[in-house]
Amino acid sequence: MLALTKRRFLQLAGLSIAHRILPSRLWAAVVRPPSARKVIIVTFGGGVRYAETFGPEGLRNIPRLVEMKPRGLFFQSSINSGVLSHYNSTASILTGNWQRVDDFGFQPPASPTIFEYYRKQTGADPMDAWTIATNKSFALIGSGADRALGQPYGANVVLPKQLLLEAVESVVKKNTDAGVANRENVLRHLEGILSEGYEGVGWTIFKAGRELDRTVRDTLTRGLIDYINGPEAPSSGDELTFFITREVMREFAPRLILVNFWDMDVAHWGSYSLYLQAITKTDRLTGMLWEEIQSNPNYKGNTTLLVLPELGRDGDINAANGFLNHRSGDDSCRKVWLLAMGAGVSPGEVERPVFHVDVAATAAELLGVRVGEIAGRPIREILS
Amino acid sequence: MGANLSPALQALVDKGLFERLPPTFSTFFFQQIQDWDLLFPAERTYHERLFALIDQSDPAVVAQLFEPLRQIEQKMGVNEKNWPRRHFTLEQVDFLNRSAQYAEWRQAVANIFARLDPLLEEETARNGHARLAVVIAPAELPVGPDRMWLRIRQHGTRIKLDPPEDIADYLPLLLTGDRLTAAAPPIGALYAQAKRDPYAAWMVESGGGLAKLAGNADSVVRLSYERLAAYRTRLMAEVRHMVEAQQVRGPRELLAKLKELKIHASEGDLSRDAILAEFARAVLLAGNGTLLINNTFVEWSTVQAVRRARPSVVVISFGIRNKIKPFTSLLIYADQDTSSPIPTQMDTLGTYVDLEIFYQYIWQEFEKYAEYRHNTAYLFVGEGMDELLAIGPADFPLLTATRPIKPAEVFSAMQGWMRL
Repeated sequence: MLALTKRRFLQLAGLSIAHRILPSRLWAAVVRPPSARKVIIVTFGGGVRYAETFGPEGLRNIPRLVEMKPRGLFFQSSINSGVLSHYNSTASILTGNWQRVDDFGFQPPASPTIFEYYRKQTGADPMDAWTIATNKSFALIGSGADRALGQPYGANVVLPKQLLLEAVESVVKKNTDAGVANRENVLRHLEGILSEGYEGVGWTIFKAGRELDRTVRDTLTRGLIDYINGPEAPSSGDELTFFITREVMREFAPRLILVNFWDMDVAHWGSYSLYLQAITKTDRLTGMLWEEIQSNPNYKGNTTLLVLPELGRDGDINAANGFLNHRSGDDSCRKVWLLAMGAGVSPGEVERPVFHVDVAATAAELLGVRVGEIAGRPIREILS
Repeated sequence: MGANLSPALQALVDKGLFERLPPTFSTFFFQQIQDWDLLFPAERTYHERLFALIDQSDPAVVAQLFEPLRQIEQKMGVNEKNWPRRHFTLEQVDFLNRSAQYAEWRQAVANIFARLDPLLEEETARNGHARLAVVIAPAELPVGPDRMWLRIRQHGTRIKLDPPEDIADYLPLLLTGDRLTAAAPPIGALYAQAKRDPYAAWMVESGGGLAKLAGNADSVVRLSYERLAAYRTRLMAEVRHMVEAQQVRGPRELLAKLKELKIHASEGDLSRDAILAEFARAVLLAGNGTLLINNTFVEWSTVQAVRRARPSVVVISFGIRNKIKPFTSLLIYADQDTSSPIPTQMDTLGTYVDLEIFYQYIWQEFEKYAEYRHNTAYLFVGEGMDELLAIGPADFPLLTATRPIKPAEVFSAMQGWMRL
């Protein structure tokens, strides 16, 4: 039934390509032996407070994480001691050093990322390390400024929301039939942008020239189709990030992935209900990602999932405007949580604080690579 | 110095007070007073009093007060070269934000104000007078009074009301003491007329109902999301054009360009008053959803009005937020209504959730300042509801009501409280 619906849709959209409408499992890449450890880092980007997640009143917003927590190792405090901007926070998670570069992503991280250490030391394929980020300013986050490593060893960076944004703007400008209310319109424009090239949307894909490699393009297109045909009216960059992540996992089975969800940054708009809805959506997508890890033979049993907010948001008391912002530096901004799941992780709860920079050090240990001078320390409870 | 500072403050600048203070502190304030003509009287008075206090204090005490900040500035590498004393730029904001000592710096500044503010507030409190804030929720909220004001109700008293038969008279009776057809002036207009202070009474709203009630009363500040629609639309179009034409490289350049986008005369009465025109521009371009979401505009305008203008009477009226249409949430600077043909729908439940936290933020903001503490009556009202929440000093008459009261009696109580 699902396939028929899809076929019908694709015919209407003029996209009738057989392999795209088959169930994903049938065209998935050859299953690789589940040997080497894989690491997936998921950030609740955009910032989310303890109060709306693992605080007593927040549990209702995160039913999937609440369900996952007893099977994972929950760290009550993960501290972001760095700059409270999105780019610097996530760059700190990836490098193991507190980053203090341009807040808006105009500079690469100042020190090497875990992607570079991993790829250089293991000789991993370019398709083995990915960043899939809803935050569209993350174009340079896949590799640091250190010339000994840098982009040749960095991650592929895909910014699905930027792609979506370009497509939606294009539909609105052309004022086509029913505008963005017509999903086909949006899909056509998304595909058009993928076909024309990808540099304009800030992506870095290594196994390609200016034109996307066919395999990569088909993989991303499948993610787009799943997204457009989603059960709900698609409105979310995070959903697209999820669908593309899933396709990348199925096609390339990378060992190291950063998934940056970011819809909850809608909090800046000043709507608490939209912020809560975005948290719940991210929670659902994180749950779906965990399901994918559990059911995908390339990941099942050998993958460690690390989930943490990149930062919190200002507290309700004495801050400039509470949940709308995230720069006050109060506890509500800096103190969040970390949930580790999967391979090698013994369930439990840890009271002692860990730090965001510890994530890179821990991921390095899990992947069996050495890192240079970094501030972060491997989290022993995850490794033991 | 381009601004026409008051003689008192100019004298302090001329005698080098700002040069004697730590650069990160003095530069910020120096930049603030550059726009002297666009500051509200309350802001001007605050700056004069703050720097007079520093100037008149024992130099040894002042040196001691600022010493921790100087030490942190040294650690941060602030010097005359990278921190010109007379320009506070976004690069300097970045410098602070990205510094490893940022948290320490913030704490040091907070410590300075923890010593200075009580001295300034003592005098403010001595000269205090009764103040009033009325916060109105729209009639369409899908809950009753038992589910309203949950975050702040423990600070006040729920008072039974006896609403009129015709809901159209509910707010007129409450705010003017009479029915809609009587076209009587609302409490804010009465206060502004009595005090002859152009910034003493504000009406901040999502729609245009309060402005209509005020009629031709120019003396009250009327700030309406709906009535600023033409200005908002132009701002969105201009920002979109700047970004699409790649005229700006990033947020910093964008912010500089946004400063030039003043309200036109055809876009609203606010253009007649330079201070209010700049206030509206700053609120709409704050980057916090004020252009896009009616209630964010209302909340942020109120917070800014309280912080900057310290009005004595404020009436705040929220509206219902629309649902965000599929895909259009991405188009920050686009008109949702024209971007998608999907009919616009009200999000009443979402609005209820949004407002519950805004009541708290607004009440907290008032209470931060000595002008409001211990002498402000707050009335939280849901249009058409048979209950309101009152927070205020024990002598605010409504707090002792023993029977359901009519909206016109609420008006009388407010009138008496404000001695009108």
